[in-house]
Amino acid sequence: MSFIKNFIEAETVSRRNFLLAASYGVSGAAAARMFGPGPAAAATYANPTIAWSYRNRTNPYWNEIASGGEAFVRSLGMSNDDLTHLINEGSSEKSLADVKALLAKTDGALALAIDTNDAPNARPVVEACAGAGAYVSTLWNKTDDLHPWDFGDNYVSHMTWSDEGPAEQTARILLEAMGGKGGVVHLGGIASNNPAIERLNGLKNALVDYPDVELLDAQPADWDTQKANRIMSSFITRYGDEITGVHCANDTIGYGVLEALRAEGMDVPIVTYDGNPQAVDLVREGRILATVFTNPHWGGGITAALAYHAAIGTFKPSREPRAHREFYGPTIMVTPRDAAEFKANYLDDVPTYDWNDFWGPTNGQIMYK
Amino acid sequence: MTEFTTVTAPRLPSRERIVKWAPLLVLAFLILLFPVFEWLEDFRGGEDHFYLLDSRFFSIRNAARVAIAATPALMVALGVTFIIIMGSIDLSMEGTVSVTAVVFAFAFLAMGGTLAGHAWLAIPLALLVGAAIGFVNGVVHVKLRIPSFMASLAMGFVGTGLALLVTGGDRVRVEDEWFRSLLTVRWFSFPVMCYVALLALLAAWFIQSRTILGRNFYAIGGGEDLAKASGLNVERVRIMGFTLAGVFFALGALMAVGRIGIAETVTGKDFMFISITAVVVGGTALWGGIGGVWNTLVGVLIVNVINNGMVVIGLPSFLQDGVLGLLVIVAVVLSTNRKSISFVK
Repeated sequence: MSFIKNFIEAETVSRRNFLLAASYGVSGAAAARMFGPGPAAAATYANPTIAWSYRNRTNPYWNEIASGGEAFVRSLGMSNDDLTHLINEGSSEKSLADVKALLAKTDGALALAIDTNDAPNARPVVEACAGAGAYVSTLWNKTDDLHPWDFGDNYVSHMTWSDEGPAEQTARILLEAMGGKGGVVHLGGIASNNPAIERLNGLKNALVDYPDVELLDAQPADWDTQKANRIMSSFITRYGDEITGVHCANDTIGYGVLEALRAEGMDVPIVTYDGNPQAVDLVREGRILATVFTNPHWGGGITAALAYHAAIGTFKPSREPRAHREFYGPTIMVTPRDAAEFKANYLDDVPTYDWNDFWGPTNGQIMYK
Repeated sequence: MTEFTTVTAPRLPSRERIVKWAPLLVLAFLILLFPVFEWLEDFRGGEDHFYLLDSRFFSIRNAARVAIAATPALMVALGVTFIIIMGSIDLSMEGTVSVTAVVFAFAFLAMGGTLAGHAWLAIPLALLVGAAIGFVNGVVHVKLRIPSFMASLAMGFVGTGLALLVTGGDRVRVEDEWFRSLLTVRWFSFPVMCYVALLALLAAWFIQSRTILGRNFYAIGGGEDLAKASGLNVERVRIMGFTLAGVFFALGALMAVGRIGIAETVTGKDFMFISITAVVVGGTALWGGIGGVWNTLVGVLIVNVINNGMVVIGLPSFLQDGVLGLLVIVAVVLSTNRKSISFVK
């Protein structure tokens, strides 16, 4: 049982270091700013451990992320097993504890790609990594006041997606298909989720240019097919033929909406979001007008690649412009015209990406409101 | 476990009669209530509106929509009704529904993917899987002496995990025209699935009132010690009850897949809340021995009418959950006779 003892010791030590570092952060950092020119040049490693920390693999989205990470590791001539998976199961505490354990094990020789599960958890994770001399790239979650450039080279990059723009584009496709008049309903995600808010905002932005279209109703369907199905049939009762278009916050909601329409024998244009393979098929059949693909496979690979190449010294993050430190991920609009081609290129046959082209497909620096 | 004493109160027949019919009155009240809001809305907008006649809520087409939404939940609630009559509880429905839905979908596709071929065998298979899960549930509860609440909850998690294992988190689409005719083909405005549900309801009613097993459920719920003392094999009845519930959960899964054409790990989501709520709102007491399948039908309809009506009258989404909770409490207060119970735990 000695490994348990070792683990507890390592945890105790790292927790103490963490507390010390935190108190240093308050007083010492201010002092260091006065005397030094910022953080000292970070050490690089010849052969860092590569790790991905995420929710779990049973979720199709995170499975794609992890497979992207594995594709990157294979591109280095290693095997899938050389990618360390830290599974947080939706717990920020576990996420942080796992990272600290791995930092202790690797003594800082670590290239970490991570979604910290929630935004507040990003700061302790990044601070633990920077403190140990490891390199970390984050995806999706971080608070607005946490920036890679405040941590020298060790906090390599952050990538996220803004859904407002793409959701507005799908809305425009929908509104055009409606002939610029009639009534539209929106079925959203969990009301407090950021993507849910952004996707509804996208629709509202587009509606400004279509004064003859009325937003009849918007209700949260919690990303859930069955709930979406129930709400859509209630919408049909309330608005009936007034509904001439449906804007869905994601594909799973779209499936429930399609079935509710089918039960009534109604044929109304709908748009969705996420670009799941099934939705892409429906786009190809013309039953969904558009969906948006965010390429999780590429996101998973490139996030690991950024951390790895910073760790081995291929590039020096602190010399890169800010648009290379915080940026939006790629979005691809899928419409009936290009669905077949898209499916062949991205889903049936996962393309071989150039993992050294870090910023090519990205979508510009993150803007804070 | 049934330590509390029940005192029957024969001197209040009128109140008892009211309580007996209260769930139906609540349902009728709700059906008449929502059109009032519609009328108010049109009245404020200055439009002509004839109460009920012009109501979109109070229409055959909306009745069909409510029925479609209620069908899978009704199947699941019927299953758990038997368990609750015994004074136990079964919380495994989410896992059982998910796993049977997924097994059904995979088997259906593997055997040709159309009801016209051999794939109909997937239906009895799904029912068998449901029965097996329920059986294990009952055995774990009875033989390992774990409270039904805990045993079934744990089995539910196992089921969800199994479904995840089988699908890997993917969705399975069942697109067969024959199978989907459950939803797409209508007789007298109502889709086929509603008639299937009606048959299942009659079967459940038959089991409840015309079989020894059904009477035994009431015997155990009314007083387990007494039932045991009278020579009833309580353990056996319990295990059979859970097995039967599993079959109804599987039926619920088939209806859920029939409704949206997709089987996935989250197919069973939300069934726990809606089925338990429906059973209780319908007037079946959680302490056992009282109620039955007709109560459950009314309960399921109450919950679904509320859900549908709130959207139809345009209630803001942030109010809907709160209003549903309040209406559930009101419905339970009205529809169960709590005076006869010395204390509630």
